[in-house]
Amino acid sequence: MLNLVGAMRRFSAANAWTVLSLMVIGCLALGWAAPAQAQDAPGQAAETLRSLLVQAQLAMSDDPAAAGEMVQTAAVLYQDALAPTLSAAAPQAAQRAAAGLAEAAEAAAASDPIHLAAARAQVWTALLDGAMSVVQEAIATGRGDQAQSWLLVREFRQATRFSRPSADAAVVVAGFAGGQIEAGAAMQAVQADLLDTYQTRLNQALDTAAVAQGQGFGARSAEAATLAEGYFALLIPALVEQRGPEQAEAATRSFAELRAAAVAGQPLDAPLAQVRAALQGFRAAPLSPTEQTRRAGQMLRFLSLVPVEYGRGVRNGQVAIDLEIREAITFADGAAAAFADLEPQLASAQPAQAADAAARFAALQRDLAAAGAGGAVADPAAVRRQANELTAILREVMPDSWQRPDSNADFDVIGAALDQMERAVAAGEYTLAESARLEAYAILESGPEAKLVAFAPQHVTPIEELFWYGQGEQPGLAFLIKHGASRSEIAATRQALDARLAAASEAIGGDSAPAVVATNAAIIVFREGLEAVVILAALMASMVGAKRIYRRPMAAGVLLALLATAVTFWLAQQVLTSFSRYGEKLEAVVSLVAIGVLLLITNWFFHQVYWKDHLANFHAQKKALLGSVGAGQLLGFVLLGFSSVYREGFETVLFLQALVLESSLWTVVEGVAIGILAVLAVGVITFKFQSRLPYKKMLVWTGVLIGAVLLMMVGNTVHAMQVVGWLPTHPIRWLTLPYWTGMWFGLYPTWEGITAQLAALVFVLGSYFLAERQRGGRRKKDARPSREKAPAAQAPPTPHALPAESPATAELAVQRALD
Amino acid sequence: MRVRTPLIAIILLTLLAACSAPAAPQPTATPPTPAADLSGIKDFLLDQAASLTASTGALKAETDRYYALAEAAGFDYPRLWQEQRSELIPVIEAARELWVQASPQYEKMEGIVAGTPSLAEFDVILDAGPSGEEDPENAAPVDLNLPDGRVLERPGNLFGVVESTLWGTFPAYSADVAADWNQDGAVEFGETLPDAAVLKAGADALDSYASQLQTAAQEWSPSTSDAFTALVVMVPTMSEYFASWRDSRFIAGEDSTQRDFVAISRLADIQDILGGLQIVYGQVRPLIDGVDAAQAAQIESGLSSLKAFVADVHQQEQGGRRYTAEEADLLGAEAQNRATAVTGQIAQVAAQLGVVIEE
Repeated sequence: MLNLVGAMRRFSAANAWTVLSLMVIGCLALGWAAPAQAQDAPGQAAETLRSLLVQAQLAMSDDPAAAGEMVQTAAVLYQDALAPTLSAAAPQAAQRAAAGLAEAAEAAAASDPIHLAAARAQVWTALLDGAMSVVQEAIATGRGDQAQSWLLVREFRQATRFSRPSADAAVVVAGFAGGQIEAGAAMQAVQADLLDTYQTRLNQALDTAAVAQGQGFGARSAEAATLAEGYFALLIPALVEQRGPEQAEAATRSFAELRAAAVAGQPLDAPLAQVRAALQGFRAAPLSPTEQTRRAGQMLRFLSLVPVEYGRGVRNGQVAIDLEIREAITFADGAAAAFADLEPQLASAQPAQAADAAARFAALQRDLAAAGAGGAVADPAAVRRQANELTAILREVMPDSWQRPDSNADFDVIGAALDQMERAVAAGEYTLAESARLEAYAILESGPEAKLVAFAPQHVTPIEELFWYGQGEQPGLAFLIKHGASRSEIAATRQALDARLAAASEAIGGDSAPAVVATNAAIIVFREGLEAVVILAALMASMVGAKRIYRRPMAAGVLLALLATAVTFWLAQQVLTSFSRYGEKLEAVVSLVAIGVLLLITNWFFHQVYWKDHLANFHAQKKALLGSVGAGQLLGFVLLGFSSVYREGFETVLFLQALVLESSLWTVVEGVAIGILAVLAVGVITFKFQSRLPYKKMLVWTGVLIGAVLLMMVGNTVHAMQVVGWLPTHPIRWLTLPYWTGMWFGLYPTWEGITAQLAALVFVLGSYFLAERQRGGRRKKDARPSREKAPAAQAPPTPHALPAESPATAELAVQRALD
Repeated sequence: MRVRTPLIAIILLTLLAACSAPAAPQPTATPPTPAADLSGIKDFLLDQAASLTASTGALKAETDRYYALAEAAGFDYPRLWQEQRSELIPVIEAARELWVQASPQYEKMEGIVAGTPSLAEFDVILDAGPSGEEDPENAAPVDLNLPDGRVLERPGNLFGVVESTLWGTFPAYSADVAADWNQDGAVEFGETLPDAAVLKAGADALDSYASQLQTAAQEWSPSTSDAFTALVVMVPTMSEYFASWRDSRFIAGEDSTQRDFVAISRLADIQDILGGLQIVYGQVRPLIDGVDAAQAAQIESGLSSLKAFVADVHQQEQGGRRYTAEEADLLGAEAQNRATAVTGQIAQVAAQLGVVIEE
């Protein structure tokens, strides 16, 4: 203890000052180091270096000395911050960068703007090349942090109407660094992203070189040509892999010649043509199978819309609606862009057909452009013929795997149609906007909705409401267009819809294996058919004895509905998208009919006095029943059978069509069979269960089931009518229900729906209690004559004896016993 | 009884199974968009909107004075010029000063307004929208009803209409009078007599929409998506702004056919826009720091250097330097390169944060 105290005392003030000084120095060092670390971050360092060289170029004409100093600073920065890593991971790129800086210094000293421009481009593309190698090596060796930091040394594609800057590589590398993604997947994503970017930049550089030469901008032309050469260096491995080393060497020579010509100020037409020919059909980052299918789906969808838009815009050989022509051009350009992405693969497999398709695309675009520019107006029939012939060629040349309907492609085209809607609103053309909105909805209905219903049902209703008449906080597009809303209001709803569509797309993304499609079909058939089968089975079970005859008209109605559904299926194959526009309204109409019939049946059912009276006079009035009053009842049961099945048949058919296109007819038939078996099983169980019940309880159960189905039908019908705008929508804000209450029970949190269902419930219960009251009154009435007779007989009443062979015998006897 | 219970159970189980979650795997839940304190963006927007409405209100008053003078002369512009030249010039100059005051006030918030989907239409109307004649599809959706009964259908953005009227760059908006302001025998650029009806209608509409923008800004609740969308949408438009600058009088001189961007160099506008975007970025930077501090720093550095780059060019221009077409082209390319780099990095971090960039 004393030693410790002594030691502390010996730790004198001088030592304390020493320690304090060291601490201060350390803090200062850290403070200087922090910015230095930020500066040393490769992304920042590369950008600073590039900027210095550009500034040198700009300063050269006025202050050559300053330009030289800037180049020198850039060289020092390179040596300090970038060279060590690049030299280790990408020595060739490092050498090119160092050589470029040396050339830049010489050019600055000589006040030579053209050579400085070329040298700048060489340095920059060498840095990009080296950085890509560093990232790949870091991924291969498991150094996620290094991969992330060096990925910042890169370029991006410019945003266009159809694309945003890609973020794929960054997201994947971040996932790799975090241990969520494997090295192989990270490597693939980085290569796809960067190669695609640099090939795009290469093409832009070639265009810039051509334009700059035409303008007489020597330095710009030299810079662009050297950039193109540098970008190509990044793509060489892919070209070697796809076309072999000889072609790669030839292309390399072509790029070198281009650069030399640009630096020398010589014409670039020939070198440019040579370079473009060398790259014809080459795609450094081949599309993944998913992307191939997506592009193919986009191409065919866009192409199908071209004659539709064009036909609407031309009348009597003249352009009547300019906006429609522009939309046709937009869709044609979209289809051509997608074709351009697929062309390399198509050309390698079937070069002649691919070339034919390319020529036809060009011809179609020329004709549309002529009409749009006020020139010759092609006949809409001719444009349709062009589109159809081109589609046929594409279907012939594309592999089958590309031709399966792709939900992602459908969502892309839906987005394009909604863009058209917004443009129409901007032009004040609300009729056109509504047409575009319906187009987008029809694509949804005939495409992804089938999968959504089965696998992501929570998105179906919100998307529907946003497309149609959602009101309150977020009015639907149909509502807004109908009321001539402003662009900003429509844009706000479009924004909400885009978010939902994006979520839905993500939810159902993935392949469509046969088992998936079959399951999809089974679920759809089961869900859509459950309601109808339960009510039909319940009613049929209650029709025993004399009432058994009513099973036939119900079955006839069901058969008619199935036949109508089959016809609808065939028709839908011909005009799928057009049918999709009317699905909601047809469902609403048929549902109203079904509810009307069911209300009558329910009321009739609960008035057992009617049945009793009917049965009591059965033999006497049988012919009269079948002749007059019975005809109405028969028609009612036929209509009930028909409407119960067909009300869901229309939309089910559309869903199944979409699935057939996605897979195959037999896969869907398998799923449908499973769904039908399942729903029939429920029907049989319902039927058997009720059949074994005592008569009165059977009637009660039947009534309960009818009532329950009636409530579901009322809820779903009100919802369908709200969707198409035939009923207003007033949400019950304090009531939150899970999505499946609507999907399965027709229970939606709106005042209209809940009120209608309550009204239906009151009707059902009212019918029951009224019937009970009437029956109770009749019992008293019947009891009075019995009591009058009683003093004489004093014996309990016995059932009337009826011929045993009468179908109504047992039932009537039981009925009287219960009474 | 023995049969009933199992049957009931089977039916109930069947119904329960039907009511349960779909047989297919549940979709992946979308992660919630991270939140940031964006109150600074709204405060900045409201400040600028208030300044703007004050300026447009004053501009409206000044143009009303000009209109009154013209009306008193029965819109006989030659007589008006002959009799009231000394009153007219100060009024026109005062109106020009107010326009020069108002324009940068809007430019400072243009990045936010144009980049926010719910406010973007105001940008088209006030500053960005072409005329129906230039681009029918994307024209500013506003007609001008003149006091004399004429209707100008989709004349273009309102700042542009008023600018071209005040400086006489569009003959249709000028009176047919040779207004030699300094009486040196030559009618030079800027020596013009605006059409009073067009000027009044344009200034009135400008003030009206500025007020509407202020109201919309008050009701606006900025979201993280809005902020990132504004950055991604507005930053890469440098090339078109530089193209405007290249084609303007500041580069092309008398050969310029552009009727706007004559009073203020587009380079000044670009700096103002970038300044507004820097404020937006400052609000979301904490989010980005949490994902990638190095990239956050690089983005901020990129925005600052881009603005500094433009400022340097503008400073030299104001110092008298006249850039050649090739230099302007190089500058435009450099600005575009820097903007693309910054935009790409912002898009990357947005993707990592799960922020939706609106289309």
